Formats: sequence, C-alpha cells, structure tokens
Amino acid sequence: MRAYTQVTRREVLQRSALGFGALALTGMLAGEAAASDPASPRRPHFRARARRVIFLFMKGGPSHVDTFEHKPLLQRDHGKPLPFAKPKVTFAQTGNLLASPWKFREHGQCGHRVSELFPHVARHVDELCFLHSMHGTNPAHGGALLKLHTGSDNFVRPSMGAWVAYGLGSENSGLPAFLTICPTLAHGGVLNWGAAFLPPHYAGTPMGNASIAAREAQVRHIKSANWTPEQQRLQLDLLEQMNRGHMAAGPADPVAAGALESRIASFELAYRMQSSMPELQDLSGETEATRQLYGMDNPVTENFGRQCLMARRFAERGVRFVQVTHSDNKVQWDQHGDLRKGHTEKAAEVDKPIAGLLTDLKARGLLEDTLVIWSGEFGRTPTVQGTTDGRDHNPWGFTAWLAGGGVKPGFRYGATDDYGFYAERERLHVHDFHATILHLLGIDHERLTFRHSGRNFRLTDVSGYVAKAILA
Amino acid sequence: MRWICGVLAGAAALLVSEAAEPDKARPHWAFAPIQKVVPPEVKQSPWVRNPIDRFILARMEAAGLKPAPSAPPHELRRRLHFGLTGLPPAPSATAAAAADAALVDQLLASPHYGERWARHWLDVVRYADSNGLDENAAHANAWRYRDYVVNSFNADKPYSRFLTEQIAGDLLPAAGAPQRHEQITATGFLTLGPKVLAEPDKMKMEMDIIDEQIDTLGRAVLGLTLGCARCHDHKFDPIATAEYYALAGIFKSTRSMASLVTIAKWYEHPLATPQQAQLEEKHRALVEAQKKVIAAFVEKANQQLLVDKAPAPLPAKPEEQYGKDTRDELEGLRARLKQMESGAPRMPSAMGVADGAATNLPVFLRGDHDSPGTVQPRRFPRVLSSGQPLALEGNASGRLELAQWLAGAENPLTARVLVNRVWRWHFGRGIVPTPDNFGLQGEPPTHPELLDWLAGWFVENGSSLKKLNRLIVTSATYQQASAASAESLARDPDNLLYTRAPLRRLEAEALRDAMLEVCGLLDRTVGGTLWEFENYKLVFDHTSKDMTTYETRRRSLYLPVIRNHVFDQFELFDFPNPNMMSGDRAASTVAPQALYLMNSPLVLRAAEALALRLTEAPPQERVAQLYQRVLARPPTPTESARAVAFVARFPGSPGTTVKAAAPAPVWQALAQALLAGNEFIYLR
Repeated sequence: MRAYTQVTRREVLQRSALGFGALALTGMLAGEAAASDPASPRRPHFRARARRVIFLFMKGGPSHVDTFEHKPLLQRDHGKPLPFAKPKVTFAQTGNLLASPWKFREHGQCGHRVSELFPHVARHVDELCFLHSMHGTNPAHGGALLKLHTGSDNFVRPSMGAWVAYGLGSENSGLPAFLTICPTLAHGGVLNWGAAFLPPHYAGTPMGNASIAAREAQVRHIKSANWTPEQQRLQLDLLEQMNRGHMAAGPADPVAAGALESRIASFELAYRMQSSMPELQDLSGETEATRQLYGMDNPVTENFGRQCLMARRFAERGVRFVQVTHSDNKVQWDQHGDLRKGHTEKAAEVDKPIAGLLTDLKARGLLEDTLVIWSGEFGRTPTVQGTTDGRDHNPWGFTAWLAGGGVKPGFRYGATDDYGFYAERERLHVHDFHATILHLLGIDHERLTFRHSGRNFRLTDVSGYVAKAILA
Repeated sequence: MRWICGVLAGAAALLVSEAAEPDKARPHWAFAPIQKVVPPEVKQSPWVRNPIDRFILARMEAAGLKPAPSAPPHELRRRLHFGLTGLPPAPSATAAAAADAALVDQLLASPHYGERWARHWLDVVRYADSNGLDENAAHANAWRYRDYVVNSFNADKPYSRFLTEQIAGDLLPAAGAPQRHEQITATGFLTLGPKVLAEPDKMKMEMDIIDEQIDTLGRAVLGLTLGCARCHDHKFDPIATAEYYALAGIFKSTRSMASLVTIAKWYEHPLATPQQAQLEEKHRALVEAQKKVIAAFVEKANQQLLVDKAPAPLPAKPEEQYGKDTRDELEGLRARLKQMESGAPRMPSAMGVADGAATNLPVFLRGDHDSPGTVQPRRFPRVLSSGQPLALEGNASGRLELAQWLAGAENPLTARVLVNRVWRWHFGRGIVPTPDNFGLQGEPPTHPELLDWLAGWFVENGSSLKKLNRLIVTSATYQQASAASAESLARDPDNLLYTRAPLRRLEAEALRDAMLEVCGLLDRTVGGTLWEFENYKLVFDHTSKDMTTYETRRRSLYLPVIRNHVFDQFELFDFPNPNMMSGDRAASTVAPQALYLMNSPLVLRAAEALALRLTEAPPQERVAQLYQRVLARPPTPTESARAVAFVARFPGSPGTTVKAAAPAPVWQALAQALLAGNEFIYLR
C-alpha cells in the first residue's frame, strides 16, 4: 500500500483533481490527466440501472406503522401487550400496543395501502418500491444516522454518497459529485456526509444546514463580498502571472510542477463555480406550475419544496448524489409524545414536495435513471411510549422506499411481524440496503474497496446482499 | 457480522489462539531488536554534516547520483522557521541573513516551537475539544492536555517520560500538587477519543471505548493495528485475539468514565487547589443553609395551615393553600437558592483516567460481548516481549507496567515509530512511508539502516526531541535546495533517494498563522483556552444551531477542534479528521480552497490589514513593502513592474495613496493575491 501523502507524479494528478472535475493540465502531464482524474466519470462494474441518486432523508425516525406499512392486527389488538419479547436493549420503555391514529387506504393499480398522512405520495404508489423489512443495529439517533449513512455506528467511515462519488466520479466538471442540502449538524453531523479515509474530494459539499432556511442555503464562500467580477478577474490574472513566475524560477521536478500547476487551475475552477452554483440555485426560471407542483406556493411546504426542486436541478446537471434532509430545529420526526400532532405536521411538510419531485422527474424522463430513496434513520415502535400518543425508536424493523432507476415499481419487499416490531420476512439490514443501492448504480459492493490502514474497506463492511427481487 | 474487521475476516475468526506465533513474527523487520548500525563510508565526504547524510549519500552514490546544492539562505530560513515554529520569518530579515546553527538553536528555544510540535502530536492522539460521534458533548477541559503537550515539548521532556505520563501519569509518584496535576492531565490522552455516549447497551459502550483506546495507543505508539484483533486473530500481524483481551483487561481495570447513563460522561480528575476546595466548601455550606431556610419556612407555613384550618389535616399539596404573600416569599427564597446554585465557583478538572477495579476479561468471540470465552490474565502481546510476558496480578490495572513496557528502551517499535514520525513531519514522507502502520501491511522502510541508527541515537540521547530535530534540520540532506538535476529527475523521479528537497505545502494552521502574522494581526500568547463552553454540554444538538466561533487572532493551535464540525478553513486544507489518529496528513488541492482564499472574510480582513500597514509612498515602494512583508524578500524588477501596472489598471481605485482608515481596494486586492499565491503557501 502506498500512503496517500506519498507524492508521486500519478498521485499529484490524482490529488489535484480540484474536487470538482476536469483538470486542465498542460505540457507533459496533459495526456494522463483524463485517465487519472478521480472526479471524472468512471465506468461501473456492470450495467447501471441508475446513474444518480436523490436521497430524501427524514431525520428523527418516521413511524412505518403510521405511514407506509399497514398492520391490521395492530389496530385490532390496541391496548394489549406485545405478544412476544421486546429487544434486550431499547432506547426507552414502551407499554402496550398502540393502534395507528390514521386510516390506511388502497391506492393505485398495485393496491398498496398508504395512510392518510401521505395523500400526494400515495398517488405515486405504482412508481414506488417499498422495503418493509429494513433493520439496523442502533436504537439511538446518532448511532442510527451513522449506520444508515456510513454503514458503521461505532467507527468513522466514509458516507454512502462519498463511496458513490469515489466509485462513479462526477458527470459535471463544474459541480461537486456529492451535494447535501440542509443536512443536520447533530447526531454524527459531518460524518454523515464525510469522506473519512477516502480522498477529501469525495466528501459531500454541504449547502447550509438544518437550522437554515433552504432559501439561504449556500456552498460556503461561493460569493465574493468584496470584488466585482471584473476586479476579481484582474486579480486572478495577476495571481496566475505571479504563480507562473514562481514556477519558472523553481525546480523542474514534475511532482512539484504538477502540484503548482493544479493549484493554478483550482483558482480558475473556483472562479467558474462562483457563477455556476448561484445560477443553479436561482429558481426564478422555473414556471409557476413547477413551483406549485413542489408546493412552493404554500408556507408549509415551501422549504422542503425548494430543497426538492434544487435536488432535481442538481440531478439534471449531473450531480451524482444529492441528499435532501428533512429536518428542523425542533424534534423532527421524533415523536416520543405528541405523535398525532407531530407526524401530521411533518408529513404535511414533505408529502406534496416529494410527490412533486416524482412527477417532475418522470415528466422530464429523469426518473428512469435517477434512484430516489426515502428513509428515516429508523422507524418507531408499535408499542406506546408515555400513555396514549407516543412511540419509541425502532431500528429492528422499519420501511424505506425506492423509486425510479431500475427498481420494480408498485412493489413491496419484505415485511415486519404482525405488529411492525421486527423485520421478519426478507430481512434487509442497512448493509443489504447499501449493497442494493450500489448494485442499482452498477457497482459490486464487494469490489468497491479502498485500501486504508493495511486493509481494504467497503461500504458494506463484511456483509450485505443485493435484494435481487426488487430489480426491474 | 457485528464488528467491522475487514473483508478477510470470516469463519476462521471463531478459532482463538492464546498468543500469536512469535517465531513466525520475529523475521518481520519491525519486530526485530534495533540494530547497532555504523554509518556507511561515502566518497563525497565533504558534503556530509552529520551521520544522517552518510546513509542518504551512500544510497545516492550507489545509484550514481549527487545531492542537490544547498538551499539559498532565504528559502532555508523560511523552511526552518515554519518547520520548527510554524511561523514565518520576521519580514525585517534581509535576504543575506544567515540560516545557520544559531538560528536553529534560537528557534528550538522559542515557545512557539512547543506549539508547532504539540500540533503534530495532537494529530497522533486525535485531540479534540468535543466528543463528536453520536452526541457531540463539549470537552471543555481538553485544553489542559494541549497545554501539557506544549509545555512538555518546550521543556524537551524525554519522550519515554512523556509517553509514560500519558498512559499512567496518575500512577506515578509526584513531588507536589503541580507535578501531580501535570501527570494526571497527561492521561487525557487515553480519554480524548470519540465515544458513543448514547449507546443503550452499556457493555458495548465500555468495550467500544476500550477498543478505541487500544487502537489509538497501538497505532500512535507502536504503529500496530491492535484493534484488528478484537474479533479474530490479527490477519497479518502476530496479535492474537486472546492477547487483545489480555490488554483490554488493563483498560477494563481503568476508570475512563464517570457515568454510563445516557448521555454518558467521561471521568475527570479534580485539580482544585486547597484554597479553591475551601471556596467550594464555603459555597456548598451557603447553599445548604439556604435549603434549610426553605425547609424551615415550609414547615412553618404548613404549621400555620394546620392552625388556620383546624381540625382538617394537612392537604396533599399544602403549598397551593398558602396565602399569596407566603407563596411569593417562598418563591423568592427558592429563586435565591437557584441563583446561588448557578453561581457555584467553577472547580478546575482535567480529562484523564484513574485505576478502577482490577478485572480480567474473557475473550469475546467475534467481538461479541454476549459470547464470552476463556478469561485472559492481563498481559502484553508476546511479539514485542522477550520470553513469556508476565501476567499482571493484584489490584492495580497494570497500566503503569504497560507504560513502562512501551517506553522501555528494549521495545523495538516505540523509538522507531517516533523517529519515523519526526522524519515524516520534516520531509513529508516517513522512512517508513506508512507512519501509523509498521505491521506486515505497512510499507517497508526506504532506508532501514538509517531508521535503526536514528532510533538508537535517539534512545542514547535521552529520547530528546529537540536534539533529534536539531540533528535532522542541520543535516546536509535537509538543507538541500529543491531544484532537481536532470539525472536525479530521470533516475529518482519520486525523490525516494532524497536527491533534492521536497516541495512542502503549509498546513492549515501554518497557513492561517502566517497570514495573520504577515498582516500584523497575530496574537502570539502561548497557552490557555479560548473556548468558553460548559463541560459535557452538547456543542451541536437537534437544533443544528452553530454556536462555534473562530473569531480570534490567537494561533490556530488554540482554535477549538469541534469533531463533526471542524473550522472550515481547517477542513478545506487537510486538517486531519479529529475522530481518528493520524500521523500522515494529506496535502490536497481542491477548488473550495481557492474559493476560501478568494472570498472568506478572514483572508479579506488579513489583506485589508496588510494594506493598512503600508506607509505612504509611491506605488513601486509600496509594492516592495508588500513583498517584504508577505514573502520576506524584495520583488524582482519584473514583479514590481507587473504589480505597479495592476495598481494602475484596477477599476475604481486611485491606487497611489492611502489616507482614510480603509485602504484603497487595489492594495487590498494586491495583498490578497500575494497571500493566495503559490510562493506563500509552498516552501521550497
């Protein structure tokens, strides 16, 4: 193994990928640049069903038994004790079974039952592929977020988006391969979009955070507060002349020259990004109909609608992995109490924007090769926390859903037990979930490895199976 | 599989051996005793300044190559200043000023030397001012450990002593309270790691913490990935799972945590002086007295109720029946109590460990603490011991013996790993290119004899880091120019033979410090903390509100290191992830770095301050002043002409003079370009 900091010509090229794309090297190095640039697009291991990902992350843990997995016995046995043992270690104490306060109704051709919390998403059931047998390992938010995002709840590992960026590169030289819009800074924070030991340009680029309105969310330092574009152009021209003079006076060592040259190029790319990013975030070119589709005309849905619309715009321009986090600065989907009020509010904020995103992606022909993922870090217990209106964390069984890129539409995979406590049929651990997502992107999860600290690491550690049944 | 231990871990993990086969292990160079080496003879002996050069030159000569000429004094001076203190040379230094042994001594004696080298060590011990991981609780007292490291380097504490204090300082005898405090503060090393503080499975939490301690200790001190043996015998290195649990027993017998209840709290040693302890005592007495007043008040009011409402008994919630005046008075007394309690004097404490109940752990099969195997007496791995390692008995954890074993001169890895780290920090690449992995999966040394000679020399010289640094930076090898001859480029393209100096990029901290320094903004105060945050409080909670601030002119070393939310300039310029130990920083070039230098308030403010410091003079002279300040050299005629032309052309600026408090934008723009330039960020 060669340590990352051991400088060779090849690695200077690799390292100087500028984070975001194509590298214009001159002279003797030019020929190698395209092949060695880690941010350039790369071929998958096999035919990819999806080329990009939009991950809609519901922070706090939405209740599967109140949204997408209907449990008639839970309704029937309300108030009775759970007829089997609860896990040895739980996050909090829970009592007897609590029926869902919401009605479920059949939708679409597939007849899948969705609760009244998601009337708009329900119209898309024929596009969705439900994974009802998700399970993780950690019943606390931090551990569960890290597990879902990185595959590990007790070690620092690269985020799923970073692995995808590492595996497939970027399709747009002016944009990051992995963008995360308004991510939460709690419960693992940056580790959830970090590159860990992967080279730093694979880390997610955050736009704002969960305490900032989507309208205000920006990539850091993207705007010059001091200089007009004309002034900055002159300044960067001078900088380049100075840097070229410095190079000419210095050693002819190709390693050193490569480093100096790529640093010159980085300023040019930064200058271009200053115009490309704000242009992508500027939604004024979108029609009123599109804005309404995402619920941007309603204060309840405006914020998440904006996040979803930006996600579509980034996906359209070739950003490989866009994460959209639904969070806020209160308790998010984490209803240990006030379940009725909390879940009603949260669902209302996301339902229309998500449906709008699906409609829009489909209308633009993007849904075919875009994988949309919806998930929380865990579900919630079918047993009551408090007296009548709360549920505890449930990593032992919960629902995620996929849409688009290569998944069977109108399909259900796996199931929890009769009450929704444990994943029971076709169990899908977070590692399996990751393996399946990578597979849809044309990546063999066992072959996507990175050498670090003396061994090969994977997103799926030493396990993970692909849920072949869900492939279209 | 529950624990994450690599693609090669499989069913074989079920088989547990007592100790890894030492005979199989001994042949690996890193486990062999340090060899006595005689520096080789060389042809071009006038080049040689100390024995390091003989090893380097011998290899060059064998390859038919010659060293590069000496670096020009101006370049060497910059290299020495940054390398030893992390700060630029003073702008007043003239181009001809010497970069000699006297300068080296002066830099080693500077208090900023300790700051610079402390930061290197802090990389290795994953220093941070918050826990990170799942619950980002504030390490409000971590800075005491940081000061301890700075002071230790400045005092040139022998490395063996430095190491012993960090592992078992609480168990060492002390001459008095200051020394005792220093030694227990050192053990912060063991508890600085990230912990899953909301882990509901407490046994798992404890074993994860122990694992983090073993993993960090193993890689930091021995360059061994001991953590790999948690679930199965190490796949590559001779470390058996049984030996892992024998070692884990030492940490299980050590108290690292004060409470495991969610959100768990790490252990801290009180550091109060007798006067401070008395102050706390007085305060507590005051609080107790107030509580008694309240209790007596309630008793009296209840009695009043009984009298007023007789013969009815006392109601269940008597306070609700009090008259308004009584209620108000009681509220006032309680408010006063609350005020007193919140005004408690802050008692100093330090993160660190203490001995707990001596316990031997069983092997946990596949790392699963629900599957215990055979109990393992506490002991050290056999591979680095001569003969059968002693089992540790009695009521002590065995941590002191562990520290002494690690720091002992007969341990072949400790000195090798350390001298290699120092070499890495000077040259950007270790003699062993994988400084944190000396196991079979690490890379072999490029100059094995030099490594052993340096390790031996280091031990013989009292494991003095200042002496080692002096030896390295005064070598001809270090002092070469970075210019490469055609032959060395052709036959040593990756500079594995050290035929020239490497190009060094300033680290995140050095870049910020240098910028503040040349702009006249740097506050050089040494030590202490800038971070006023309540201990154990969450730095980031579900609100995602960012309460961190980095608005200070102090050196970068003192900026709080918040795990999961590192200062953005640090994050951009390859500051190591503070969740993991790292002796090998990257030096990446990415476009967001350029955005930072173009648009961040810090850089703009520094450039403005620099422009303000220019004296009133014709443009040409002002350009010369700028070059001298930023690059410690005058501009060439071409550079000067180019800058003057820029000044004349820059839109919206008179360009010639500065009168008001704000500088004419053009001088700020020019200053910023110099700060962003390659010459400023790279050392030749």
